Amino acid sequence: MSDDREIKDAPNKFDKARRNFLRGISVGAAASLAQPAWGGQTFSDAFADFFQNHYQKMSADEIDAALERIERKAQIRYGVDINCENTPPQENVVFGYAINISRCQGYRDCVQACVKENNLGRDSQVQYIRVLEMDQGVTNLEHSEHYYDPAEVPVEGKYYLPVQCMQCDDPPCVKACPVEATWMEPDGIVVVDYDWCIGCRYCMTACPYWARHFNWTEPEIPAEELNTDTHYLGNRPRPRGVVEKCHFCIQRTRKGRQPACMEACPTGARIFGNLLDPDSEIRYVLANKQVFRLKEDLGTEPKFWYFSD
Amino acid sequence: MAAARLTPGTACEAVLCLLLALCYASVGAQDTATDSGALRFEGYPDAPAFEVVSRKSDLFFYPCDQCHESMEPNPEIRALDTMHDAEIDHGRGRIWCLSCHALEDRNYLTTLLNEPVDFDDSYLVCGGCHANRHKDWTFGAHGKRVANWQGPRSLYSCTHCHNPHSPAIGPRAPKPPPPVRAGLELQRGADHAADAEDDATEEHADNE
Repeated sequence: MSDDREIKDAPNKFDKARRNFLRGISVGAAASLAQPAWGGQTFSDAFADFFQNHYQKMSADEIDAALERIERKAQIRYGVDINCENTPPQENVVFGYAINISRCQGYRDCVQACVKENNLGRDSQVQYIRVLEMDQGVTNLEHSEHYYDPAEVPVEGKYYLPVQCMQCDDPPCVKACPVEATWMEPDGIVVVDYDWCIGCRYCMTACPYWARHFNWTEPEIPAEELNTDTHYLGNRPRPRGVVEKCHFCIQRTRKGRQPACMEACPTGARIFGNLLDPDSEIRYVLANKQVFRLKEDLGTEPKFWYFSD
Repeated sequence: MAAARLTPGTACEAVLCLLLALCYASVGAQDTATDSGALRFEGYPDAPAFEVVSRKSDLFFYPCDQCHESMEPNPEIRALDTMHDAEIDHGRGRIWCLSCHALEDRNYLTTLLNEPVDFDDSYLVCGGCHANRHKDWTFGAHGKRVANWQGPRSLYSCTHCHNPHSPAIGPRAPKPPPPVRAGLELQRGADHAADAEDDATEEHADNE
Protein backbone atom coordinates (compact mmCIF):
# COMPACT_ATOMS: atom_id res chain seq x y z
CA MET A 1 0.00 0.00 0.00
CA SER A 2 2.58 2.46 1.10
CA ASP A 3 4.71 1.79 -1.99
CA ASP A 4 1.73 2.49 -4.22
CA ARG A 5 1.05 5.78 -2.59
CA GLU A 6 4.64 6.92 -3.02
CA ILE A 7 4.62 6.12 -6.69
CA LYS A 8 1.29 7.84 -7.11
CA ASP A 9 2.36 11.03 -5.30
CA ALA A 10 5.74 11.36 -6.92
CA PRO A 11 4.71 12.64 -10.36
CA ASN A 12 2.45 15.25 -8.72
CA LYS A 13 5.28 16.51 -6.54
CA PHE A 14 7.66 16.92 -9.44
CA ASP A 15 4.96 18.53 -11.48
CA LYS A 16 4.36 21.15 -8.79
CA ALA A 17 8.07 21.80 -8.40
CA ARG A 18 8.50 22.29 -12.10
CA ARG A 19 5.50 24.62 -12.28
CA ASN A 20 6.86 26.74 -9.40
CA PHE A 21 10.28 26.83 -11.01
CA LEU A 22 8.88 28.00 -14.33
CA ARG A 23 6.71 30.58 -12.62
CA GLY A 24 9.76 31.83 -10.71
CA ILE A 25 11.74 32.24 -13.91
CA SER A 26 9.02 34.24 -15.62
CA VAL A 27 8.54 36.53 -12.59
CA GLY A 28 12.30 37.00 -12.34
CA ALA A 29 12.53 37.89 -16.01
CA ALA A 30 9.76 40.47 -15.63
CA ALA A 31 11.49 41.97 -12.57
CA SER A 32 14.83 42.20 -14.35
CA LEU A 33 13.16 43.99 -17.25
CA ALA A 34 11.72 46.56 -14.85
CA GLN A 35 15.09 47.20 -13.20
CA PRO A 36 17.98 49.04 -14.85
CA ALA A 37 20.28 46.65 -16.61
CA TRP A 38 23.04 44.97 -14.60
CA GLY A 39 21.93 46.42 -11.25
CA GLY A 40 22.23 50.00 -12.39
CA GLN A 41 25.63 49.82 -14.04
CA THR A 42 27.20 48.85 -17.29
CA PHE A 43 27.82 45.21 -18.12
CA SER A 44 31.60 45.57 -17.90
CA ASP A 45 31.36 47.23 -14.48
CA ALA A 46 28.98 44.58 -13.18
CA PHE A 47 31.35 41.92 -14.52
CA ALA A 48 34.38 43.56 -12.86
CA ASP A 49 32.45 44.02 -9.60
CA PHE A 50 31.66 40.32 -9.57
CA PHE A 51 35.31 39.38 -9.78
CA GLN A 52 36.54 42.16 -7.47
CA ASN A 53 38.97 40.86 -4.86
CA HIS A 54 39.12 41.53 -1.11
CA TYR A 55 40.22 45.12 -0.32
CA GLN A 56 43.44 44.01 1.34
CA LYS A 57 44.35 41.74 -1.56
CA MET A 58 43.79 44.22 -4.36
CA SER A 59 46.74 45.92 -6.04
CA ALA A 60 46.84 49.71 -6.21
CA ASP A 61 45.60 49.59 -9.82
CA GLU A 62 42.75 47.28 -8.92
CA ILE A 63 41.70 49.58 -6.08
CA ASP A 64 41.78 52.58 -8.41
CA ALA A 65 39.59 50.71 -10.87
CA ALA A 66 37.19 49.78 -8.05
CA LEU A 67 37.00 53.42 -6.93
CA GLU A 68 36.20 54.51 -10.47
CA ARG A 69 33.46 51.91 -10.68
CA ILE A 70 31.96 53.21 -7.43
CA GLU A 71 32.00 56.75 -8.82
CA ARG A 72 30.39 55.66 -12.11
CA LYS A 73 27.71 53.72 -10.25
CA ALA A 74 26.85 56.74 -8.08
CA GLN A 75 26.68 58.89 -11.22
CA ILE A 76 24.14 56.50 -12.74
CA ARG A 77 22.15 56.07 -9.53
CA TYR A 78 22.11 59.63 -8.20
CA GLY A 79 23.29 61.73 -11.14
CA VAL A 80 25.98 63.17 -8.90
CA ASP A 81 29.76 63.16 -9.39
CA ILE A 82 31.21 61.77 -6.17
CA ASN A 83 34.85 61.54 -5.24
CA CYS A 84 35.72 58.16 -3.78
CA GLU A 85 39.16 58.00 -2.21
CA ASN A 86 41.40 55.49 -0.56
CA THR A 87 43.30 57.68 1.91
CA PRO A 88 45.77 55.43 3.74
CA PRO A 89 46.14 55.49 7.55
CA GLN A 90 48.64 57.97 8.96
CA GLU A 91 51.87 56.83 10.59
CA ASN A 92 51.89 56.73 14.40
CA VAL A 93 48.20 57.46 14.73
CA VAL A 94 45.68 55.40 16.67
CA PHE A 95 42.34 57.07 17.13
CA GLY A 96 40.53 57.30 20.43
CA TYR A 97 37.32 58.92 21.50
CA ALA A 98 35.95 60.24 24.78
CA ILE A 99 32.55 61.64 25.69
CA ASN A 100 31.88 63.90 28.64
CA ILE A 101 28.49 62.68 29.79
CA SER A 102 28.01 65.62 32.11
CA ARG A 103 28.15 67.87 29.02
CA CYS A 104 25.88 65.79 26.75
CA GLN A 105 22.37 67.27 26.73
CA GLY A 106 20.74 64.74 24.38
CA TYR A 107 20.16 67.17 21.50
CA ARG A 108 20.95 64.47 18.89
CA ASP A 109 22.84 66.96 16.70
CA CYS A 110 25.57 64.33 16.38
CA VAL A 111 23.10 61.76 15.06
CA GLN A 112 21.83 64.10 12.38
CA ALA A 113 25.34 65.13 11.33
CA CYS A 114 26.33 61.47 11.11
CA VAL A 115 23.37 60.56 8.91
CA LYS A 116 24.23 63.36 6.49
CA GLU A 117 27.99 62.82 6.48
CA ASN A 118 27.85 59.06 6.04
CA ASN A 119 25.13 58.89 3.39
CA LEU A 120 22.77 56.91 5.58
CA GLY A 121 19.31 56.27 4.18
CA ARG A 122 16.85 58.90 5.37
CA ASP A 123 14.03 56.36 5.53
CA SER A 124 15.96 53.47 7.01
CA GLN A 125 16.42 52.69 10.66
CA VAL A 126 20.19 52.59 10.31
CA GLN A 127 21.84 55.21 12.48
CA TYR A 128 25.40 54.72 13.66
CA ILE A 129 24.90 56.78 16.85
CA ARG A 130 22.25 56.12 19.46
CA VAL A 131 21.75 58.61 22.25
CA LEU A 132 20.44 56.71 25.25
CA GLU A 133 18.32 58.50 27.80
CA MET A 134 19.04 57.07 31.23
CA ASP A 135 17.73 57.67 34.72
CA GLN A 136 20.22 59.49 36.84
CA GLY A 137 22.17 57.16 39.08
CA VAL A 138 21.52 54.17 36.83
CA THR A 139 24.03 52.63 34.45
CA ASN A 140 21.96 49.67 33.30
CA LEU A 141 21.80 49.95 29.51
CA GLU A 142 18.77 47.65 29.45
CA HIS A 143 16.72 50.43 31.01
CA SER A 144 17.69 53.08 28.51
CA GLU A 145 15.42 54.78 26.02
CA HIS A 146 16.68 55.96 22.65
CA TYR A 147 13.33 56.90 21.10
CA TYR A 148 12.88 59.73 23.62
CA ASP A 149 11.20 62.80 22.15
CA PRO A 150 10.23 65.37 24.79
CA ALA A 151 9.63 69.03 23.93
CA GLU A 152 12.92 69.99 25.52
CA VAL A 153 16.08 68.20 26.62
CA PRO A 154 17.71 67.62 29.03
CA VAL A 155 14.79 66.26 31.04
CA GLU A 156 15.02 66.61 34.80
CA GLY A 157 16.39 63.46 36.42
CA LYS A 158 17.79 62.01 33.18
CA TYR A 159 21.21 61.87 31.65
CA TYR A 160 22.26 61.09 28.11
CA LEU A 161 24.73 58.48 26.96
CA PRO A 162 25.60 58.43 23.25
CA VAL A 163 26.77 55.03 22.02
CA GLN A 164 28.29 54.11 18.69
CA CYS A 165 31.01 51.73 17.52
CA MET A 166 33.58 51.55 20.31
CA GLN A 167 36.38 50.61 17.85
CA CYS A 168 37.48 47.80 20.16
CA ASP A 169 41.15 46.94 20.15
CA ASP A 170 40.23 43.25 20.38
CA PRO A 171 37.07 43.37 18.28
CA PRO A 172 34.76 40.34 18.63
CA CYS A 173 33.00 41.26 15.38
CA VAL A 174 36.22 40.72 13.43
CA LYS A 175 36.64 37.26 14.95
CA ALA A 176 33.06 36.36 14.08
CA CYS A 177 33.24 37.26 10.40
CA PRO A 178 33.48 34.01 8.37
CA VAL A 179 34.84 35.75 5.26
CA GLU A 180 37.21 38.32 6.84
CA ALA A 181 35.22 41.19 5.39
CA THR A 182 35.84 43.27 8.51
CA TRP A 183 39.14 44.01 10.19
CA MET A 184 41.02 46.61 12.23
CA GLU A 185 43.09 49.11 10.28
CA PRO A 186 46.53 50.22 11.58
CA ASP A 187 44.99 53.46 12.91
CA GLY A 188 42.61 51.45 15.08
CA ILE A 189 39.44 51.85 13.04
CA VAL A 190 37.41 48.69 12.51
CA VAL A 191 36.25 48.80 8.89
CA VAL A 192 34.05 46.75 6.58
CA ASP A 193 34.69 45.90 2.94
CA TYR A 194 31.08 46.29 1.85
CA ASP A 195 31.79 44.49 -1.42
CA TRP A 196 33.19 41.45 0.38
CA CYS A 197 30.52 41.25 3.10
CA ILE A 198 28.07 38.40 2.54
CA GLY A 199 25.47 39.85 4.92
CA CYS A 200 25.41 36.89 7.30
CA ARG A 201 25.19 39.27 10.32
CA TYR A 202 27.35 37.09 12.58
CA CYS A 203 29.27 40.25 13.51
CA MET A 204 26.07 41.90 14.69
CA THR A 205 25.47 39.11 17.15
CA ALA A 206 29.10 39.17 18.25
CA CYS A 207 29.08 42.91 18.97
CA PRO A 208 28.19 43.63 22.62
CA TYR A 209 27.46 47.31 21.88
CA TRP A 210 24.72 47.05 19.25
CA ALA A 211 27.00 49.06 17.00
CA ARG A 212 26.63 47.18 13.73
CA HIS A 213 23.68 47.64 11.46
CA PHE A 214 22.32 45.67 8.55
CA ASN A 215 20.94 47.68 5.68
CA TRP A 216 17.84 45.94 4.46
CA THR A 217 17.34 48.42 1.65
CA GLU A 218 19.62 50.50 -0.48
CA PRO A 219 19.85 53.86 1.29
CA GLU A 220 17.34 56.43 0.03
CA ILE A 221 19.16 59.74 -0.13
CA PRO A 222 18.03 62.88 -1.96
CA ALA A 223 20.66 63.40 -4.69
CA GLU A 224 21.39 66.97 -3.61
CA GLU A 225 22.11 65.83 -0.06
CA LEU A 226 24.57 63.12 -1.07
CA ASN A 227 27.96 63.68 0.53
CA THR A 228 30.35 63.51 -2.41
CA ASP A 229 33.50 63.32 -0.30
CA THR A 230 33.73 59.57 0.26
CA HIS A 231 36.12 56.78 1.17
CA TYR A 232 36.11 53.14 0.01
CA LEU A 233 36.00 51.87 3.61
CA GLY A 234 33.76 54.69 4.81
CA ASN A 235 30.74 56.56 3.60
CA ARG A 236 30.59 55.61 -0.07
CA PRO A 237 27.14 54.54 -1.27
CA ARG A 238 26.77 50.99 -0.02
CA PRO A 239 25.05 48.05 -1.67
CA ARG A 240 21.94 46.61 -0.04
CA GLY A 241 22.24 43.64 2.30
CA VAL A 242 25.58 44.33 3.96
CA VAL A 243 26.55 45.26 7.50
CA GLU A 244 27.80 48.75 8.20
CA LYS A 245 28.93 50.71 11.22
CA CYS A 246 30.58 53.84 12.55
CA HIS A 247 34.11 54.19 11.14
CA PHE A 248 35.13 57.39 12.97
CA CYS A 249 34.42 59.24 9.69
CA ILE A 250 37.46 57.64 8.07
CA GLN A 251 37.07 59.95 5.05
CA ARG A 252 37.58 62.97 7.30
CA THR A 253 39.79 61.83 10.16
CA ARG A 254 42.52 60.39 7.97
CA LYS A 255 42.89 63.86 6.50
CA GLY A 256 43.15 65.49 9.93
CA ARG A 257 39.54 66.65 10.16
CA GLN A 258 37.22 65.91 13.05
CA PRO A 259 34.53 63.25 12.86
CA ALA A 260 31.19 64.80 11.87
CA CYS A 261 29.59 63.98 15.23
CA MET A 262 32.29 65.88 17.09
CA GLU A 263 32.10 68.85 14.76
CA ALA A 264 28.32 68.99 15.19
CA CYS A 265 28.28 68.65 18.97
CA PRO A 266 27.19 72.05 20.31
CA THR A 267 28.31 71.37 23.87
CA GLY A 268 31.86 70.18 23.26
CA ALA A 269 31.11 66.88 24.98
CA ARG A 270 33.00 64.90 22.33
CA ILE A 271 36.77 64.61 22.39
CA PHE A 272 38.69 62.87 19.65
CA GLY A 273 42.37 62.49 18.95
CA ASN A 274 45.50 60.45 18.55
CA LEU A 275 46.14 58.07 21.44
CA LEU A 276 49.84 57.91 20.57
CA ASP A 277 50.36 61.67 20.88
CA PRO A 278 51.04 62.54 24.54
CA ASP A 279 49.96 66.17 23.94
CA SER A 280 46.57 65.28 22.48
CA GLU A 281 43.30 66.18 24.18
CA ILE A 282 42.28 62.55 24.47
CA ARG A 283 45.47 61.70 26.36
CA TYR A 284 44.86 64.59 28.76
CA VAL A 285 41.37 63.28 29.43
CA LEU A 286 42.60 59.74 30.00
CA ALA A 287 45.31 60.96 32.37
CA ASN A 288 43.28 63.52 34.32
CA LYS A 289 39.64 62.41 34.37
CA GLN A 290 37.83 59.49 35.90
CA VAL A 291 37.12 57.60 32.71
CA PHE A 292 35.20 54.38 32.21
CA ARG A 293 34.27 52.18 29.29
CA LEU A 294 31.07 50.32 28.61
CA LYS A 295 31.05 46.59 29.39
CA GLU A 296 34.75 46.72 30.14
CA ASP A 297 34.60 43.28 31.77
CA LEU A 298 34.11 41.68 28.37
CA GLY A 299 37.73 42.45 27.57
CA THR A 300 37.11 43.86 24.11
CA GLU A 301 39.30 46.89 24.91
CA PRO A 302 37.12 49.65 23.44
CA LYS A 303 38.97 52.79 22.33
CA PHE A 304 35.97 54.80 23.47
CA TRP A 305 35.81 56.30 26.94
CA TYR A 306 33.21 58.14 29.00
CA PHE A 307 33.78 60.58 31.82
CA SER A 308 31.97 63.19 33.83
CA ASP A 309 33.22 66.25 35.64
CA MET B 1 19.73 88.37 40.55
CA ALA B 2 20.81 91.96 40.52
CA ALA B 3 24.24 93.23 39.80
CA ALA B 4 23.61 96.19 41.94
CA ARG B 5 24.36 95.31 45.53
CA LEU B 6 27.61 94.33 47.18
CA THR B 7 26.79 93.12 50.70
CA PRO B 8 29.50 92.39 53.30
CA GLY B 9 29.03 88.68 52.57
CA THR B 10 29.63 89.09 48.90
CA ALA B 11 32.60 91.34 49.62
CA CYS B 12 34.17 88.47 51.58
CA GLU B 13 33.58 86.19 48.64
CA ALA B 14 35.16 88.71 46.32
CA VAL B 15 38.28 88.71 48.49
CA LEU B 16 38.26 84.91 48.47
CA CYS B 17 37.98 85.01 44.72
CA LEU B 18 41.02 87.28 44.57
CA LEU B 19 43.01 84.92 46.77
CA LEU B 20 41.99 82.03 44.57
CA ALA B 21 43.11 83.95 41.55
CA LEU B 22 46.50 84.54 43.16
CA CYS B 23 46.90 80.83 43.91
CA TYR B 24 45.77 80.02 40.41
CA ALA B 25 48.33 82.40 38.99
CA SER B 26 51.16 80.86 40.96
CA VAL B 27 50.53 77.10 40.85
CA GLY B 28 51.76 75.25 37.80
CA ALA B 29 51.33 78.25 35.62
CA GLN B 30 53.56 80.55 33.71
CA ASP B 31 53.59 84.11 35.01
CA THR B 32 55.39 87.25 34.12
CA ALA B 33 55.85 90.21 36.43
CA THR B 34 54.06 93.25 35.06
CA ASP B 35 54.80 96.92 35.59
CA SER B 36 52.56 97.05 38.61
CA GLY B 37 54.51 94.16 40.17
CA ALA B 38 51.52 91.82 40.04
CA LEU B 39 51.91 88.43 38.43
CA ARG B 40 50.20 88.13 35.11
CA PHE B 41 48.93 84.69 34.11
CA GLU B 42 50.30 83.64 30.73
CA GLY B 43 48.99 80.11 30.45
CA TYR B 44 50.22 76.65 31.32
CA PRO B 45 53.76 76.02 30.09
CA ASP B 46 53.15 72.38 29.11
CA ALA B 47 49.84 73.05 27.36
CA PRO B 48 49.79 72.59 23.59
CA ALA B 49 49.73 75.84 21.62
CA PHE B 50 46.33 77.15 20.55
CA GLU B 51 44.66 80.12 18.99
CA VAL B 52 41.21 81.41 19.84
CA VAL B 53 38.56 82.07 17.21
CA SER B 54 37.89 85.81 17.27
CA ARG B 55 34.43 86.91 18.24
CA LYS B 56 34.84 90.67 18.21
CA SER B 57 32.95 91.10 14.94
CA ASP B 58 29.90 89.44 16.53
CA LEU B 59 29.77 91.88 19.43
CA PHE B 60 26.94 94.32 18.88
CA PHE B 61 28.30 97.29 20.84
CA TYR B 62 32.02 96.76 20.25
CA PRO B 63 34.14 98.94 20.22
CA CYS B 64 32.64 100.19 23.47
CA ASP B 65 34.48 103.51 23.15
CA GLN B 66 31.93 104.58 20.56
CA CYS B 67 29.68 105.64 23.44
CA HIS B 68 31.81 105.42 26.55
CA GLU B 69 34.45 107.84 25.28
CA SER B 70 32.10 110.72 25.97
CA MET B 71 30.78 109.29 29.23
CA GLU B 72 32.16 109.89 32.69
CA PRO B 73 33.29 106.56 34.28
CA ASN B 74 31.04 105.79 37.23
CA PRO B 75 32.42 103.07 39.53
CA GLU B 76 29.34 103.06 41.74
CA ILE B 77 27.71 99.62 41.95
CA ARG B 78 24.21 99.96 40.53
CA ALA B 79 21.66 98.39 38.23
CA LEU B 80 22.01 99.74 34.70
CA ASP B 81 18.86 101.15 33.18
CA THR B 82 20.13 102.02 29.70
CA MET B 83 21.30 99.99 26.72
CA HIS B 84 22.78 97.06 28.63
CA ASP B 85 21.01 94.27 30.48
CA ALA B 86 20.18 95.31 34.01
CA GLU B 87 20.20 91.73 35.21
CA ILE B 88 23.34 89.69 35.44
CA ASP B 89 22.49 86.03 35.98
CA HIS B 90 26.05 85.13 36.87
CA GLY B 91 27.79 84.78 40.22
CA ARG B 92 24.59 85.00 42.27
CA GLY B 93 24.96 88.69 42.99
CA ARG B 94 28.66 88.54 43.77
CA ILE B 95 29.76 90.32 40.63
CA TRP B 96 28.70 93.28 38.59
CA CYS B 97 29.78 94.96 35.33
CA LEU B 98 33.14 96.28 36.49
CA SER B 99 34.16 92.91 37.93
CA CYS B 100 35.00 91.96 34.37
CA HIS B 101 34.90 95.19 32.34
CA ALA B 102 37.71 97.73 32.71
CA LEU B 103 36.66 101.03 34.21
CA GLU B 104 39.11 103.28 32.41
CA ASP B 105 39.36 101.76 28.94
CA ARG B 106 36.02 100.24 28.03
CA ASN B 107 37.46 98.44 25.00
CA TYR B 108 39.08 96.04 27.40
CA LEU B 109 38.08 93.57 30.04
CA THR B 110 39.85 93.33 33.33
CA THR B 111 41.18 90.52 35.51
CA LEU B 112 40.80 90.46 39.27
CA LEU B 113 44.30 91.94 39.41
CA ASN B 114 43.17 94.87 37.26
CA GLU B 115 45.14 93.79 34.23
CA PRO B 116 43.51 94.88 30.97
CA VAL B 117 42.48 91.94 28.79
CA ASP B 118 41.46 92.05 25.15
CA PHE B 119 37.91 90.91 24.38
CA ASP B 120 39.29 87.98 22.37
CA ASP B 121 41.29 86.85 25.40
CA SER B 122 38.20 86.80 27.60
CA TYR B 123 39.12 83.28 28.76
CA LEU B 124 41.76 84.90 30.98
CA VAL B 125 38.98 86.78 32.77
CA CYS B 126 36.77 83.70 33.11
CA GLY B 127 39.76 81.69 34.32
CA GLY B 128 40.23 84.11 37.20
CA CYS B 129 37.38 82.39 39.04
CA HIS B 130 36.85 79.20 37.02
CA ALA B 131 40.44 78.03 37.21
CA ASN B 132 39.70 74.30 36.90
CA ARG B 133 37.50 74.78 33.87
CA HIS B 134 40.08 77.05 32.32
CA LYS B 135 42.78 74.45 32.79
CA ASP B 136 40.58 71.74 31.27
CA TRP B 137 39.78 74.08 28.37
CA THR B 138 43.47 74.81 27.77
CA PHE B 139 44.33 71.12 27.61
CA GLY B 140 41.22 70.09 25.70
CA ALA B 141 38.93 68.38 28.21
CA HIS B 142 36.40 71.24 28.17
CA GLY B 143 35.19 73.50 25.40
CA LYS B 144 35.25 73.03 21.69
CA ARG B 145 38.04 72.66 19.19
CA VAL B 146 37.16 73.76 15.67
CA ALA B 147 37.36 71.84 12.39
CA ASN B 148 40.34 69.50 12.78
CA TRP B 149 41.87 67.13 15.32
CA GLN B 150 45.30 67.50 13.77
CA GLY B 151 47.48 70.52 13.15
CA PRO B 152 47.04 73.96 14.72
CA ARG B 153 44.54 73.98 17.58
CA SER B 154 41.81 76.52 17.03
CA LEU B 155 39.47 76.83 20.00
CA TYR B 156 36.18 78.49 20.72
CA SER B 157 36.49 80.91 23.59
CA CYS B 158 34.29 80.55 26.70
CA THR B 159 31.96 83.28 25.44
CA HIS B 160 31.22 81.45 22.17
CA CYS B 161 29.02 79.03 24.07
CA HIS B 162 28.32 80.77 27.38
CA ASN B 163 26.75 84.20 27.49
CA PRO B 164 28.97 85.79 30.16
CA HIS B 165 25.98 87.68 31.56
CA SER B 166 23.95 84.47 31.87
CA PRO B 167 26.31 81.53 31.42
CA ALA B 168 23.99 78.62 32.14
CA ILE B 169 22.83 76.97 28.90
CA GLY B 170 19.10 76.33 28.84
CA PRO B 171 17.25 73.30 27.49
CA ARG B 172 16.09 73.10 23.89
CA ALA B 173 14.22 70.74 21.58
CA PRO B 174 16.09 67.60 20.49
CA LYS B 175 16.43 66.48 16.88
CA PRO B 176 13.87 63.84 15.84
CA PRO B 177 14.20 60.33 17.28
CA PRO B 178 15.37 57.46 15.07
CA PRO B 179 12.77 55.69 12.94
CA VAL B 180 11.27 52.85 14.92
CA ARG B 181 12.70 49.48 13.95
CA ALA B 182 10.61 47.67 11.39
CA GLY B 183 7.97 45.61 13.15
CA LEU B 184 8.61 47.09 16.57
CA GLU B 185 5.85 49.69 16.45
CA LEU B 186 3.48 47.17 14.98
CA GLN B 187 4.45 44.73 17.71
CA ARG B 188 3.85 47.32 20.39
CA GLY B 189 0.49 48.25 18.86
CA ALA B 190 -0.45 44.60 18.39
CA ASP B 191 0.43 43.84 21.99
CA HIS B 192 -1.72 46.66 23.23
CA ALA B 193 -4.56 45.70 20.92
CA ALA B 194 -4.33 42.08 22.07
CA ASP B 195 -4.33 43.21 25.72
CA ALA B 196 -7.36 45.40 25.12
CA GLU B 197 -9.11 42.53 23.39
CA ASP B 198 -8.32 40.22 26.30
CA ASP B 199 -9.68 42.79 28.73
CA ALA B 200 -12.82 43.22 26.67
CA THR B 201 -13.52 39.49 26.51
CA GLU B 202 -12.89 39.12 30.23
CA GLU B 203 -15.31 41.93 30.97
CA HIS B 204 -17.80 40.33 28.65
CA ALA B 205 -17.39 37.03 30.49
CA ASP B 206 -17.85 38.79 33.83
CA ASN B 207 -21.06 40.39 32.64
CA GLU B 208 -22.41 37.07 31.62
